[in-house]
Amino acid sequence: MSAFRIPGKGRVCHDKPVRFTFDGKQYQGLEADTLASALLANGVHLVGRSFKYHRPRGIVSAGSEEPNALVGVSRGGGREEPNTRATLQEVYEGLTAISQNRWPCLHFDAGATADVLHRFLPAGFYYKTFMWPKRFWDRLYEPLIRRAAGLGVPPSEPDADHYASRYAHCDVLVVGAGPAGTAAALTAGRSGAQVILADEQAEIGGALLADDKVQIEDQTAADWLSAAQAELAALPNVRLLARTTAIGYYHQNMVGLAQRITDHLASPPADAPRERMWRVRAAQVVLAQGAIERPLVFHGNDRPGVMLAGAAQIYLNRYGVKPGKTVVVVTSHDSAWHTAFDLADAGTPIAAIIDTRPAIDPALTEAAAPRGIEALLSHTVTATSGRLRLRSIHVNAVTDGKVGGARLILCDTLLMSGGWTPSLHLFSHTQGKLAWDEASQSFLPDLKTEACHIAGGGRGLWGIENALQDGAKVGAEAAMAAGFNATAPALTTQNDRSGAGIIIAELPTDRGPQSTRSFVDLQNDVTSKDIRLAVHEGMHSIEHVKRYTTSGMATDQGKLANMNGLAIAAAAIGKPPPQVGLTTFRPPYTPTTFGTFAGYHQDDTFDITRKTPIDPWAADNGAVFEPVSLWRRAWYFPKPGEDMHAAVARECRATRNAVGIFDASTLGKIEVVGPDAVEFLNRLYTNPWTKLAPGRCRYGLLLGEDGYILDDGVIGRLSEDRFHVTTTTGGAARVLNMMEDYLQTEWPDLRVWLTSVTEQWATIALNGPNARKLLEPLVEGQDLSDEAFPHMSLADCTVAGFPARLFRVSFTGEMGFEVNVPARHGLALWQRLLGEGEAHDICPYGTETMHVLRAEKGFIVVGQDTDGTVTPGDANLGWAIGKRKPDFVGKRSLARPDLVDPNRKQLVGLLTDDPKVVLEEGAQLVDDPNRPIPMQMIGHVTSSYWSEALGRSIALALVEGGRMRMGETLYLPMASITHTAKVSRTVFYDPDGQRLSM
Amino acid sequence: MTTPMTTASAVSLSLLPEFPRYSLRIDPADVSAASEVLGLELPTRPGQRAATGSRLALCLGPDEWVLYTDEADAQAVEAAFAALYPVTPHSLIAISDRERTITLSGPQAAELLSTSCPRDLTAIAPGTGTRTVFDTVQIVLLRDSESDFRIEVGRSFLPHVWALLERANRELAAGL
Repeated sequence: MSAFRIPGKGRVCHDKPVRFTFDGKQYQGLEADTLASALLANGVHLVGRSFKYHRPRGIVSAGSEEPNALVGVSRGGGREEPNTRATLQEVYEGLTAISQNRWPCLHFDAGATADVLHRFLPAGFYYKTFMWPKRFWDRLYEPLIRRAAGLGVPPSEPDADHYASRYAHCDVLVVGAGPAGTAAALTAGRSGAQVILADEQAEIGGALLADDKVQIEDQTAADWLSAAQAELAALPNVRLLARTTAIGYYHQNMVGLAQRITDHLASPPADAPRERMWRVRAAQVVLAQGAIERPLVFHGNDRPGVMLAGAAQIYLNRYGVKPGKTVVVVTSHDSAWHTAFDLADAGTPIAAIIDTRPAIDPALTEAAAPRGIEALLSHTVTATSGRLRLRSIHVNAVTDGKVGGARLILCDTLLMSGGWTPSLHLFSHTQGKLAWDEASQSFLPDLKTEACHIAGGGRGLWGIENALQDGAKVGAEAAMAAGFNATAPALTTQNDRSGAGIIIAELPTDRGPQSTRSFVDLQNDVTSKDIRLAVHEGMHSIEHVKRYTTSGMATDQGKLANMNGLAIAAAAIGKPPPQVGLTTFRPPYTPTTFGTFAGYHQDDTFDITRKTPIDPWAADNGAVFEPVSLWRRAWYFPKPGEDMHAAVARECRATRNAVGIFDASTLGKIEVVGPDAVEFLNRLYTNPWTKLAPGRCRYGLLLGEDGYILDDGVIGRLSEDRFHVTTTTGGAARVLNMMEDYLQTEWPDLRVWLTSVTEQWATIALNGPNARKLLEPLVEGQDLSDEAFPHMSLADCTVAGFPARLFRVSFTGEMGFEVNVPARHGLALWQRLLGEGEAHDICPYGTETMHVLRAEKGFIVVGQDTDGTVTPGDANLGWAIGKRKPDFVGKRSLARPDLVDPNRKQLVGLLTDDPKVVLEEGAQLVDDPNRPIPMQMIGHVTSSYWSEALGRSIALALVEGGRMRMGETLYLPMASITHTAKVSRTVFYDPDGQRLSM
Repeated sequence: MTTPMTTASAVSLSLLPEFPRYSLRIDPADVSAASEVLGLELPTRPGQRAATGSRLALCLGPDEWVLYTDEADAQAVEAAFAALYPVTPHSLIAISDRERTITLSGPQAAELLSTSCPRDLTAIAPGTGTRTVFDTVQIVLLRDSESDFRIEVGRSFLPHVWALLERANRELAAGL
């Protein structure tokens, strides 16, 4: 047992020692210790180096507000994390932690030269120093700053842990399980309301975990808390979430909770997630976040051994750890006196209590005297000494505002308290209004925007009894607001050491203002001098001061620094603090891992990959896949030894010469049914539909109101009142939404209904001169001859015994069929067709071949050859517009002057002068390559392929006034060469369409 | 017949084979005609269900229902609605292959769903159902009892939903 651990004291398990290492050295802690308490128990205060000046730093707090004790923890095997707060990390057997921001080691850090040079590194020095010469920025300044910036080392291996998420709904969510939150949860829980109580600590209880004097309802705090914990655990309507931080308060009472599940376990179960994000929708929220102690600002207030007084009380009473051998307390609040008394009673010598106030409650000085503690009122601390640990301090009397001579007091620990700042973070997330409270010199919650209630220290109350009673009252209010009958119990206490204090921006000092180094923001190394300099240099809003000095911009978001920074800035500006303002708190309340936000979205559940019924065959047969919206589609099917070019060329040849088989299941399909179905399509699509006979189909073009092409596809008329609409793969959901939108909001009088059937059907396309020969013997119920089933027909029939919806359509220019069968039969039909097709030289092809074949025919792909600014006219699709239709979506826009401008970009073909050159898609076109740069670009390549059928390259391009440029030579300047190409028609192959019936 | 796909886990999951399933869209004013054809009173509040024999109808919206039946009854349903159409136009579309059905069974079934379903599951009473989402996937969720649910999910989204359920099921079994 170390000299700093008090046997039997606190809530740690004295009979369960735990070994861990810090910077390679082995230490012993106890179960229920945090890393911070365990290090303190071993006399270790020095835990890290500061961000900017690399000054030695020690543990300051006992909670999530910790600015200094940020360490790297590791379990190995991809389980490591930088910047873990030692005050929250629980020790477990084998825990490995290292200090950060030091080289070569914590005790001797070369980076500390920055501290010697601090005069040359004032606030905003980044902005001032690295301005010129400008060319140094990219190669020198930025890399240097990047190397110097940041804390800790990011893990080099992929995170081996997994993460979880959970949605929850409750009547009352209580955030914070101190006395107020615990009382609120008890009260609401007893009413029968569904309650969630969340607290970031390992154990619920908050301040009650560290107060062994107060009596609640005639019990010790520990006994009362045990009973409360047991009652809450037994209530079936209450869910207790320890190690769970409410990180953000979002709209309509949704609160995000980040739960740490395995970080405290020596050997976590394999299937347990490391962390879990709870998304809680609560009818009522009780914020019982409490208050955070304010540090005091004085010269040298950042040495290891200088600690918040409240933290020392927690280390003493909760963990049984004394913070040092000789302690001095400096305070402007009564609470630190009680910490001193607790320490003295536990056997720690208190050299002095220094209070900045000239007069205090005499009971405090009376309690100090018998303990042999010297009380120094109206005193200040002006300096500290000790490089890696506090050795002594300078204490001066303050008389009539004048600082007297210094007296040296030897001590290894200085506990400070500048009063308590109500925690407003979550309330601020709701955009609730704050009000400045003159008496407490703090902001308090005022106007609410959400169904939330603030209890206890978070609204400026002080003392256990106040917090308990307020929590019970607010818990009852919240339960009643949620529709339950609740009564607040009268919770009375004895020995409640309530008190008061004053707020002091910066301790009086005998030093010149230029020679103090009084730290305001410990994590970002911002001093009071920096803040005054920012004000002097013209930053008069706290938001500007913050950005100029970086005060409050570290990962602790200024939990300790903001109020002191504001007070110092306000004094320098000469305005009261509320006029200078408070910076905005933003979620998350504490740093939260990416894993927690990602939840299950990693590995096989990273994102949706939609697969067709035929996908398993493609995977088994060596397909290379490409993503198309959420789908993965077979791109091409390389045979052994084939590259993409060879495979696609072979697939193209086979389809043009024999028959190709293609999985078109991803095509969007919508069934449109009802007496007004034809009228609906007339209004929506550009084409005329009235005269389309049942059993026939037609290419359909869909525009937006702006007249630009939105989607296209073949639409078949199954019967008078029933249409089978196909859409692009990526457009399926968008088109259905658009249809429903128009139907519900514009034309609710139409009797027509829409049903997505994309996934109902597996769709197999057969294209090529042998397509009919292959299909014909397998079809029952439909004659496939040109007379009975010409191009652009459809029929219900059976194919290979499966019920089928058969289309005769072609996206390749070859004779083509698309067989739709219920999805469960897709794979079986595919395999049957492949088997039967062997005799006809069948060849499966992928999306790349499909693209080549359609480009040879000049068929557009919406989204590739169009970009949301292409009209039917631009795409040579004017023929698809029903000229005599009174209206359709986009019709009026098509008459706009800019949409009929003959010089618009129009889709044309491009044939490179060198037939072997396949242009880059996206390449820009110019008409004169000798113009000075930047030269006028007149268009770009939208599609470009090697055409096996033509034995040369082909391309489609959008070109200004393209149709007037037939035969003109255009230029494509690339990085190292300028290509030339001639403008052509878009139909490269079989322009008369004779192959459709071959 | 069901296909059990997991063994040692908190909630028993299974994937049902395809069975006849229809999307019915009809003007709310004409619901009684459809009820007559079906031989059951079509519920008119979204979420409500009605059943007779092998037939089950779930109301998904003011003019939208999903109908389930068995193979033996499928032709009868289709013929009855086909006969109704000339008198009372509507849309009946077979979607038997559009979705797959996962059953979840066990006391922790609701908890398992809460890993990716944002709805308040306590508000979905046994004997009701709803259209909702699981992760980012649209599903129809039916609650058959306190501890029995069915997820109807688009065929191509099944692997994602199934993988999420299995992962979360292992998490529940781990007990943390």
